Amino acid sequence: MNNQKVLIKGNYAIAQAAVKAGCQCYFGYPITPQSEIGEYLSGKMQELGRGFVCAESELAAINMVIGAVSTGVKAMTSSSSCAVALMQEALSYAAGDELPVVLINVMRAGPGLGYIYPAQGDYNQSVYGGGNGDYKIIVIAPSTVQECIDYTYKAFYLAHKYRNPVILLADGLLGQMMEPAVFGEYPYPEIDNSSWALTGAKNRPARAIYSLEPSESKQINRINHLFEKFDIITKNETDWEEFETDDADIILTAFGSMTRNIKAAMKVLRENDIKAGCFRPITLNPFPHKRINELARQGKDFIVVEMNMGQMYKDIKYAVEGQSKVELVNRSVGEWLKVEEIVSAVKKIMEKNYAASI
Amino acid sequence: MEKNFILAGFGGQGILLAGTILANAFMLDDKNVTWYPCYGAEMRGGTVNCEVVVSDTEVSSVHKKDCDYALVLNQQSFDRFVQNIKSGGTIIANSTLVAETKPRADIHYVFAQMGKIASDLGTNKITNVVSLGVLSSVTDIISKDALKKAVETVLGEKKKDLLPLNIKALECGESILTCA
Repeated sequence: MNNQKVLIKGNYAIAQAAVKAGCQCYFGYPITPQSEIGEYLSGKMQELGRGFVCAESELAAINMVIGAVSTGVKAMTSSSSCAVALMQEALSYAAGDELPVVLINVMRAGPGLGYIYPAQGDYNQSVYGGGNGDYKIIVIAPSTVQECIDYTYKAFYLAHKYRNPVILLADGLLGQMMEPAVFGEYPYPEIDNSSWALTGAKNRPARAIYSLEPSESKQINRINHLFEKFDIITKNETDWEEFETDDADIILTAFGSMTRNIKAAMKVLRENDIKAGCFRPITLNPFPHKRINELARQGKDFIVVEMNMGQMYKDIKYAVEGQSKVELVNRSVGEWLKVEEIVSAVKKIMEKNYAASI
Repeated sequence: MEKNFILAGFGGQGILLAGTILANAFMLDDKNVTWYPCYGAEMRGGTVNCEVVVSDTEVSSVHKKDCDYALVLNQQSFDRFVQNIKSGGTIIANSTLVAETKPRADIHYVFAQMGKIASDLGTNKITNVVSLGVLSSVTDIISKDALKKAVETVLGEKKKDLLPLNIKALECGESILTCA
């Protein structure tokens, strides 16, 4: 059963993976395009004797997650763009308090209420955050339904391993599409939270989790600790995928489900004698700066393809450090850039930048 | 090999379900497949469509510019998607609701009385399954056995009593072109 392929929607895949990962509590408020997650869990969690609350708002939902994970159990919430915006304050608290909050964001169009069609406009919101203070969130972006399962597992593991909030950044396209996928078993070891979890102080000294810190020096130490921790996360967990970059002159770059389109565009470009490669950050935070910089130093130029006004584009430029050219091919929201559109945009850029060499 | 199918019709005609059955059939045939619906404020009586992409290797993108096969169950869908078929592609239309016109010379047309066959079987609710039968007789990519298994998978235990009718609908759809 576990290794059997099933045809499943991205949203249901995430929900079922959360159950298999041992998520004990789900708190959420419905919003398209991710409502299937709550819908599935509303029945399943009850059946398993686990916690499910349809909260009165997203603000309440994420704070309920904070309460639940403070006791050391696995818990999560899921939402979409404009409602994830409401959760930013809590994410800052969760990062400051070192709490293993898992948040699924199935992106839709913004700004403001926007609409339910897919987009990738929450790159900045996820990677840089909208909460106050210096904090960092681990962000993982899946590109297929299978990865929705694999990275939901990973989100729970990393959150608990590092005591750090994790965002799984999917989009409406992934949430709504069905693909064959295999669940297998939750592949990670269970993390022992007994050294910090709030489980009742009988027979041990009392503990407290809070972010208030009147002592300046202690707060400096706390923030340094958070950033040292993220350095370790960067070293251990930075993840990316690259295809045919060895002999490439130009590297198409995308995150999430747009990866599929640049891979297809790369094949077409190669058939047209353009040496294109693909690079796809899997973890958006920590970001694979180092590898991108290496590729740029080999003289490879980058074309960033994304469904927003150029949010990851800035990070690629930053990583490239002026060592090679970086161009943007984008659309703000809605229907994903088609393979043909990417190919013709790349050709135009090639003509403009390399007129002499082609 | 990568082929993509558009399935379209009225909301309520079972388009998304037909796409789900088709995608299951490809999965049971060990192919890579992606199903993607138009989602939004769709409602009964409006138009609805979904895209099914099948591939021997990794499925690349959805939202493709043009499709290889369009299965359309009503006139609006015919008018809209006849424009979005690759040259040399095929449109398969439910002629119970679609006028038999051929606005383009570079594609193939298959017209079949899917709605009528379904009514003859007792309910026009099963037009979608009849249409899958017709589709499977037009292209070798779809295995007829896998399609039957897919119908069984999608109906599940709860609706097992509907299986004989659905299998009959598939078979009627498959044989319609050869009978006509």
